[in-house]
This record gives sequence, C-alpha cells and structure tokens, in this order.
Amino acid sequence: MLAQLSQVRPAKNLRFGFFQQGPLCFDLQYESVQMAEKEKKYDRQLRLWGDHGQRDLENASVCLINVTATGTETLKNLILPGIGNFTIVDGGRISGQDAGNNFFLDPEKIGEYKSKVAMELLQELNPDVKGEYVEEDVSQLLERTPQFFTGFSVVISGSLTLTVLKKLAALLWPHKVPLVVCLSYGFLGYIRIAVEEHAVIESHPDNAHEDLRLDDPIEDFVKFCDSIDLESLDKKDHSHTPYLIILFKYLQTWKNDHNGQVPNTWKEKKQFKAAILAGVRKNAEGVPEDEENYDEAAKHVNTAFVPNKIPPELKAILDDHKCLNITDSSSNFWILANGLRQFVQNEGSGFLPLRGSLPDMTSDSERYVKLQNIYQAKAAHDMQIVSNYVSHACSSLGCGNGRVSERDLKRFCRNAHFLRVLRTRSLEEEYKQPSKAVIDEFTSDSNSDALWYVLWRAVEMFYTTHGKYPGIEDEELEMDVSRMKSFVKDLMKSWGIPGAIEAVSDDSLQEICRCGAAEIHSVAAYMGGVAAQECIKLITGQYVPVSGAYIYNGLKSTSLTLAV
Amino acid sequence: MANLCMLPEMKKSVSDSKVFVVGAGGIGCELLKNLVLSGFRNIKVIDLDTIDVSNLNRQFLFQKRHVGFSKATVAKESVLCLCPTANITAIHDSIFNPEYNMQYFKQFDLVMNALDNRSARNHVNRMCLAANVPLIESGSAGYLGQVTAIKRGVTECYECRPAPRQKSFPGCTIRNTPSEPIHCIVWAKYLFNQLFGEEDADQDVSPDTADPEANESGDNSKVKHQHAQVDAERKSTREWAKENEYNPSKIFNKLFAHDIRYLLSMDKLWTKRKPPTPVDWSEVESNSQTSVSEKDIQSVLSLEENAMLFSESIQNLKQKLENEDEDGILVWDKDDTPALNFAASAANIRAHIFGIETKSIFDVKSMAGNIIPAIATTNAIVAGLIVMQALCILNKQFDKCKSVFVRKCVNPAKKLLVPCCLDPPKPDCYVCAEKPEITIAVNIETFTVAELKDQFLKKHLGMLAPDVEILDGKGTILISSDEEDSGSFDFDRPLADFNIINGSRLRADDFLQNYDIIINLTHETKFENEEIFKVLEQTGVAQQQKSADVSATQDNTTVNNTNNDDDDDICILEENVASPEKKRKLQQSPNHDDHNSKAKRRKVSESQNDSSVLIID
Repeated sequence: MLAQLSQVRPAKNLRFGFFQQGPLCFDLQYESVQMAEKEKKYDRQLRLWGDHGQRDLENASVCLINVTATGTETLKNLILPGIGNFTIVDGGRISGQDAGNNFFLDPEKIGEYKSKVAMELLQELNPDVKGEYVEEDVSQLLERTPQFFTGFSVVISGSLTLTVLKKLAALLWPHKVPLVVCLSYGFLGYIRIAVEEHAVIESHPDNAHEDLRLDDPIEDFVKFCDSIDLESLDKKDHSHTPYLIILFKYLQTWKNDHNGQVPNTWKEKKQFKAAILAGVRKNAEGVPEDEENYDEAAKHVNTAFVPNKIPPELKAILDDHKCLNITDSSSNFWILANGLRQFVQNEGSGFLPLRGSLPDMTSDSERYVKLQNIYQAKAAHDMQIVSNYVSHACSSLGCGNGRVSERDLKRFCRNAHFLRVLRTRSLEEEYKQPSKAVIDEFTSDSNSDALWYVLWRAVEMFYTTHGKYPGIEDEELEMDVSRMKSFVKDLMKSWGIPGAIEAVSDDSLQEICRCGAAEIHSVAAYMGGVAAQECIKLITGQYVPVSGAYIYNGLKSTSLTLAV
Repeated sequence: MANLCMLPEMKKSVSDSKVFVVGAGGIGCELLKNLVLSGFRNIKVIDLDTIDVSNLNRQFLFQKRHVGFSKATVAKESVLCLCPTANITAIHDSIFNPEYNMQYFKQFDLVMNALDNRSARNHVNRMCLAANVPLIESGSAGYLGQVTAIKRGVTECYECRPAPRQKSFPGCTIRNTPSEPIHCIVWAKYLFNQLFGEEDADQDVSPDTADPEANESGDNSKVKHQHAQVDAERKSTREWAKENEYNPSKIFNKLFAHDIRYLLSMDKLWTKRKPPTPVDWSEVESNSQTSVSEKDIQSVLSLEENAMLFSESIQNLKQKLENEDEDGILVWDKDDTPALNFAASAANIRAHIFGIETKSIFDVKSMAGNIIPAIATTNAIVAGLIVMQALCILNKQFDKCKSVFVRKCVNPAKKLLVPCCLDPPKPDCYVCAEKPEITIAVNIETFTVAELKDQFLKKHLGMLAPDVEILDGKGTILISSDEEDSGSFDFDRPLADFNIINGSRLRADDFLQNYDIIINLTHETKFENEEIFKVLEQTGVAQQQKSADVSATQDNTTVNNTNNDDDDDICILEENVASPEKKRKLQQSPNHDDHNSKAKRRKVSESQNDSSVLIID
C-alpha cells in the first residue's frame, strides 16, 4: 500500500546516518542488534508502559470481527505499538462505499474479501506483527468452531446483530476473554467493554502520595534521626540535613506538646510550618540563612502526614472472596493479594509493605544514601514476608514456588496501594436490566450523553425488528423517526421509567436517523484511538480501563463513561 | 442517506476547500488520512523533517525502508496509494522560509498545525493572524492531547498566554557547582558540542573563573576582564582535543582530574558545599574485559563501567568525525547510540565526582533529549478531533468550535474529554492585540544591539527578521533585516551609544509576519540570575470582536510546548501561573459544571526530569 519511492531520495540532512552505515558502538550479536532496533522503534512508548508492558503487548493476540473503519483504525493503533498477532474475521466483500471511508480497503480491490485485503494492508504497518484472516461470517464461525474465539487476548467487534453479539459475549465471558465492542454511528461513538474480571497492578495514579511512614516510623529511621542533633551541626551539615529528618524531629516535639497528635487542621499545620521555619539558622546579623531543606520540610507538611490507611478499593480487594479463598486455579494476582492480606493482618499491623522509594530532597549524598538504604531495607524486609506467605500458599496449593517471579512480587508490593480490580456487568445482565448508574445518569441530567446510549439501544431494537438501520432510506426517514420513538418508549417502559421519554428530544431522534448508520471517518479515527487505548490497558494490565461503556458525542466533542 | 456530513453543500465546501497541514509527524500522518477520507481534496503539507526509526511506532504512513526520507513526501505518496483522487502537495521545507508569506497563507481556507515546537507554532499563529485564516492548533504528550481553534479577533491567539519559560540553569551551576543529575547532563551535552559539534561560547564546560560566588568582591568589570583573559589563554577545547588525537585517557584526565582540581582551588565555592573528588584515569582504568554493552540500558553503571563507556564512545565519535569533511561537525542526537553513551557516561562520571546520584542510560536519554512520550492512540484521538473542528469551521459554525482537552484517565465527572469554550482575544497580548506595546527594563549602558535583536526580539518575541526604528522623531534605524545594511551597524555596541535613554521608544517590525510592536525601554541595573532584560508591562487594544457567539469565559489552561530537540507532537497542557485565580468554565450542563468546579486541579510533573513541564487536568 505504501509509496514506491521512485522519485524520492534521502534528504541531505540525514541526522540518523550512523545507524544505517556504521558499526554499532559495541560488538553486538545479531539478536541484540534487533533488540536495540526495537528499543529505538518503541522508545517513545516504552516510557509509558515499560519493557514489561511492551512484552505483554508483544505476546498478545487480538481478533477483530467485521471490517469497519472504526475496527481497522483500532487495529492500526494496536499494530503500530507492536502486538504479537491479529486475526480479522469477516465474510463480506469490499464495496465502493467501504473503500471510501476505510484507509485499509484498497479501492482497486472491490469485490475481494475485506478480511484479506485489510489484513494485508494492516500488516504492512509493522513487520514485527503477524496477521491472519478468516473470510467467513462471524455467525457461521461461532456455530462451527466456537473455540476459535476463546484463545485471544482481546476480541474487538464492530456492530453485530443482537443475537450474534449476545452469543459471542456469552462465549467469551466464562473464558475471561475481554470483549470490546466498538463502533461509530454518525456522530455517535460507542465502546463497550465486557470482562468478568481484570486486575490492574500498575494503575499509574497521577496523585500518589509518597510512602514516608512518618506516622509509623521505621525503627532504623528513628535511630538515625536520634543520632543527629540539629543544633550541634555545622553550617553546611545543617543546611544539608534531609527534610524528612527535620520533619520527623519537629513532629516529635509537636506530639509531645499535643498529646501525641500530629498536626491535623489547617491552623495546626500552619503553626507547625512556622515552627520549622523558625529553625532556620541565622547569620551574625540575625538574617535567616538560605536553607532549602527547611523550605522543603515546610512545603511537605501538608502531604507528609497523610495517615497511612488502606484505600477502600484495596480493602475491597483484600476482602474479596477470591483473595480469601485461593485455589490452585487462582491467578497470580489473587495469590499475591492473599499474601498481602496476611502481611497486613500480621506483621504489617494494618499497614501495607513499605514502598521503599524516597522523593528527591536537598541533602548531602551521605545522609541521603543512608536514608535510602533504611527505606529500601525495610521495603525488602516487608517484601520478603509477603514472599514467604506467597511461597507457603503456593506449596500448600501444590502449584510450585516458581509460579510468581520475584519481579512480579516486587511490582505488586510497590504498587500495593494502587491495586485495582475491574469487573463489568455482562452483556446478558445489561440487556436484562439497566444498571443503576445508567438510570441515575439518564434521569438526573437531561443533557447527559447517556441519551445516546439509550438511542443506541433503540437502534439495535430497530435493526432486530426491521432488519435494517433507521434512516437508511431517505423516503422513510420520518417514519423511522417515529418508529425509533416507539422503541425508546418500549425501552423506557421496560426500565421502569416510562416518564423519561420526555428527555428524548425529537432532535436527537432526527439526528440518529439522519446519519443513516454512516461511519464518519473522523469519528471512526477518534474511536479507533480510544478503543485501542482501552485494549492496551486490558493487555498490559496497566492503567484502569473504563468500567463498561464509553460514549462520544462528536457534535459537541463531549464524552461519558457509563457503568452499563 | 442524509448524513449531516454529506449534505451536498457541506460536501462541496469540504471538497472545494484548500487546507494547509503544517507538520507530517505523529498527528500530521493521522490528520492527512482523516482529511482525505473526509472528502478534503486540496491539501498542502509541509515538513522539514526526515523519517527516523523512533517515528515508526505511530507515524503509520512511514515504514522502515523510508528512514531518512522526507516526511512530507512519503506521507503524500502513502496517502495517494489508497486515495489517488486527492490533490496533495508535499513540501519538504521549513515553515519559516519567507516564501511562505502572508500572501501564501491567504490561499487557504484553513490551516492546521501538527507541530512539535513552540517557535514554529508561534510563527504559524502570526502568519494566520496576518492572513486572517482560521487555524486549528493541536498537540499531544503521552496520553494527553489538546485541540483548539484560533481565529483573528474572535478567539485568543496561540500567544495570548505567556509561554512558560524553559527552565534554564545558571552557567556557573553547570560549570562549577552542579547539584542535580540534570546539571551534569546539560554539562555533558555542552561537552559533546565542544568536542565534536558546533562550538558555542555559551556552552563552555571548563571551570568558570568569573563565578560571582568565587569572587566575592563583586566588581563586575574586573570579573569580565578576568574572564576574557582566561578565555584568551585557553585554547578551544576542540583544538586541544584534536592536538591530543582525542585520546580518551587524556580527555578524561583533563575533565575529571585537572579541571576538578582547578575547581577545588576556588575554595570559596566549597565553604558551604561538599567539595568534588577528582578522579584520575589510572584509578578507573578497568581490568575487566566485559563489555559494557552487555548491560541493560536501564541499569545504573558503576564508575569503572562509565569510564569504559566514555572511552569507547569517544573513539566511536572520533571515527565518525573523521568521516565528515574538513570542517564537519557532529550533531548531538539522543537517538544516536555513541552520542547518547558519551553524554550518559560523561554526566555520570561528573555526577560521581560531585556526589550526585547517577542515572541509567535510559533515564539520561529522557532528560537529555527532553523526550515526551508519544503513542499512536493519542495522536489518532487528536487528529479525529481536529477534523471535527475543521468541519465546523468550513460549515461556517465557528461558534461550535471548542478547545478540547484529552485526559489520561476518566475524571470525577466520568469524562475523558474536557471541552472548553474558546476565549476572546486578550487585550494585552503582544501579538494579536492592535497597537501592542511592551515595556522592558534593560541596562542601557550594557545591553547591546545584538542582545536586543537575538535575545529579546527573536527569542522572546519570536520575530524572524526584525527591523527596528528608534522613535526619536528622526526615524533612526537601529536594526535592519536587510542584510546589505546590517554591516553598517555595530551590533556589539550598547543601546546607550545610539542616544537611547531611559524612556526611549522603539518600533520593531517583522515584515514576513506582518507584525509590529512598540518597545518602551526602562533603564535598570539590577538583574537576577544572568537575566539581561525584564518584561514590565504589555498593553494593547483587543482585536475587534467579530462574533458575539464566543462567550467571554476564562480558561486558564493553554497549549504549550517545551523547547525540545526534535521530538514530535509535543504539546503540554499547562496551567497559566499568571492567572491562577481564574477558573476554567466548562462547556457542560449546569449540574456537571458544578461537579467540575469542585474537582480539584492538580499539577503533575510530567517527565521525571523536567520540572518546567507541568500538566494540568
């Protein structure tokens, strides 16, 4: 598909010439040359999900059902960062209209199988990724070899008839294969993720507090602090005492004066800050010296005393029946969670294993390294205890000690505070009765984009009854609008909120019919980006996927996530 | 079928429109595809850059065999393969080229930026203001993205909000008293240029004898004098290295033993600091033969390993330099292995000497290259949003345009996208206001014409080729962009030599950008940290508002960009520290508004290294 560059010559300012011509810096084996090249190609994304995220991606196999522009855009965004392989299932052949809005259907190949053509063009994007295709309709394949679908890491599907969609979802659910339904319909974009359970170790929160344990200080840390007398330090050492030590020392004094309480209120914290800043050395003329470490100490008063509690999401994980009752078929996540729970209950006395990292601070390297060693040693110590629980659990379950790698254990302990488990409702449940979230969102806000979820459900009902989408034929547009309205009415009635029909404006019904099921490329491109991002989250187990549905309103550039 | 997008008149306005895509990188590739598949037929795309391996994880119109070719050209060819009916012109050139003047911009109905750096964004902003063509500005950084529309007299321009200053380090911190890893990394990059690259007097790496801290007398003229003398005595580092045939052990000893001992002799520096420990080559010369390359680039190397890497990379770079012409130079590139290894090892050895934490090669790469992570998905999202805005603009519905932010994760109001109303132009914007004036303080006795031109007019105001006239009633020309004339000006003379006094007014004009501004000068002698000018005030008259549809709401987030080397698609969503009291107004239903205003705004430092990069959600 890509350009045959007959008339293009390399540009003169070739900044990257070395890699092509010269020897590499070191004598690398062929394999490591390939590795180095991969590292270069993926450099910008490794910085987001790391080598291990990349490895998960490279081991992933993804299935796309039905070649739509949204579907191929999604696959494109998964192939570029380097999934292992993909398979496209579609029994249809290319029409002129398909090729018009899909970059991966060659207009010169009208009449050929969509699955084959799209697979070939997509594969060209990245030689590291293997592509396959099945030129058979999904419904036949589901009938003939259902096990075909259960081996994938993720199954992505465009719009399917309700019968087929429900069948597919019911097949994947017990096999724990995530299903990502993803489509664009006029200016509406819709993604639905169905996964029984998805555990996230690295949720990458963007507001994580440091784990400093000033409320439950490490024994060696206390000793170290006690060995330092701020008053007797010379000028240089005084201004290079890590702020953590300063905070701790002033905290001891404060607690002595306040019945063992840490400064809690804004006013107390303000007083505490003032006390710290009063400790700054003064020169002969009584002018305070420039001591950055004291400024840092004062600055961190607000965050450093956040009590070390187990967050509610984590509490729920530790109390989950899967955590309490591990078996030899439990996933590593639950075996680790079980070890973590035992640690918290016993040695941790209510606290998590120490994270072990220290923030940057003004300090001489000697004392910083000493602090670092204290925190790291404690973290390693805590981790060892968790490790012992895990090994013990593994051997008593008869599943061997090698099951959980040290690396995984370490990552788990470091991220213990941020663990997440996502469980969406199944499609079966969704179509049986709406979630409370949907009802609340839809009935409490007449401007909510939840409206489009309702309309999409009505479109599905329309299709099931009429075998076509509303608004496909211009002359039936008005009739389709009123048909749609009655489907919405039925839906509202079945949800037990018949009055909510008032919230569905005629304009919105017009709009959804007017688009005539067309896929607008820019909406498809947008949705392809969002859906691929969700797939990457599901594949790497990093970052938290949307819990249920994602709705995009291209008319207003708004979006909504909804636990459907 | 009666799709909105396919209404005949809409379809025609799209296919008849002429659009200009500036940049064919991560967003540019996606955008070109989207435009063509949305029915755009007349597209010009410009990009100066060539394709690099690290582009291939997202710039899907390029493949490995295209590495080294022009991005614009390959992008065009790749799109045409599948959409042969489109009329695409690819331009492999710099957008700063005067050929692309106001007249050139006027041919377009719409300009779309898919750029990676602030100076080009500034320039296109001015060209679009001058030509009165709507502009869609966009950017992405990791999972974050932003799209916004700009129209003269209707919305804020790209420069209505002050740019955050790139964090810079005082020269003496870099040369004499580093205290953080980044100081050593900056030093190592300077060193690379001194040894192999383009020499720059501002990038000296040897001990700075003029450090005010080392000379507490504080007599400025004396310091300057001393400085000049030392400079004259010292051969350029490049000459010295050449004479010594780039012998690694000699270079090592000069930098890490001799220069450090010299620094130690400046004892005033070390009264409050921990003094550095010099390292001799003989101490670190490794007995082991294991190659450093077997180490993971993510691991932290020992001093000995760094020394070995230093030596190996010097030999490699020397080889490369010899392959160049007589006056050839190497350009530091974070994606070039020997260059990166050189900088990483030199920075780490220096860090070791000063008792600073050492970093892995991977981390050094981030810090040195100011790398902003970039992925296919965010670019796809952003490019999709651009086209939605483009359709609004061509459909004459500018009032429906928004500034849309793409977040990393769902916010408390369950949104991944945050659309905001566009703000009206800022009356005191020094770019888009009518009759803009700016008041700056400089030391008229020492501030030279060259500094006015390079540091203030070009670097601060973003002019390309300024002309400056003194408003003294005689129309004295201070700076002329006309090269033939420029010989007659003594650029090294201070402003005072041209009868400029406290309160003098200048008119600076950039012909290409069709942009002029009055500069009021105030005399001032005290400056902090190597600053040579201070902006005191900006005034002007807001452009006439042409549309009442754009609500007058405030928004204190803006598109911004760090000044990085050559990366794609960087754009940072940034809090405007100048107006923290203003709250962003969300374009949402009332109850969501309520919800959002309560949501706390957080600042997060994006890359672990660069604290000047702030993300706001």
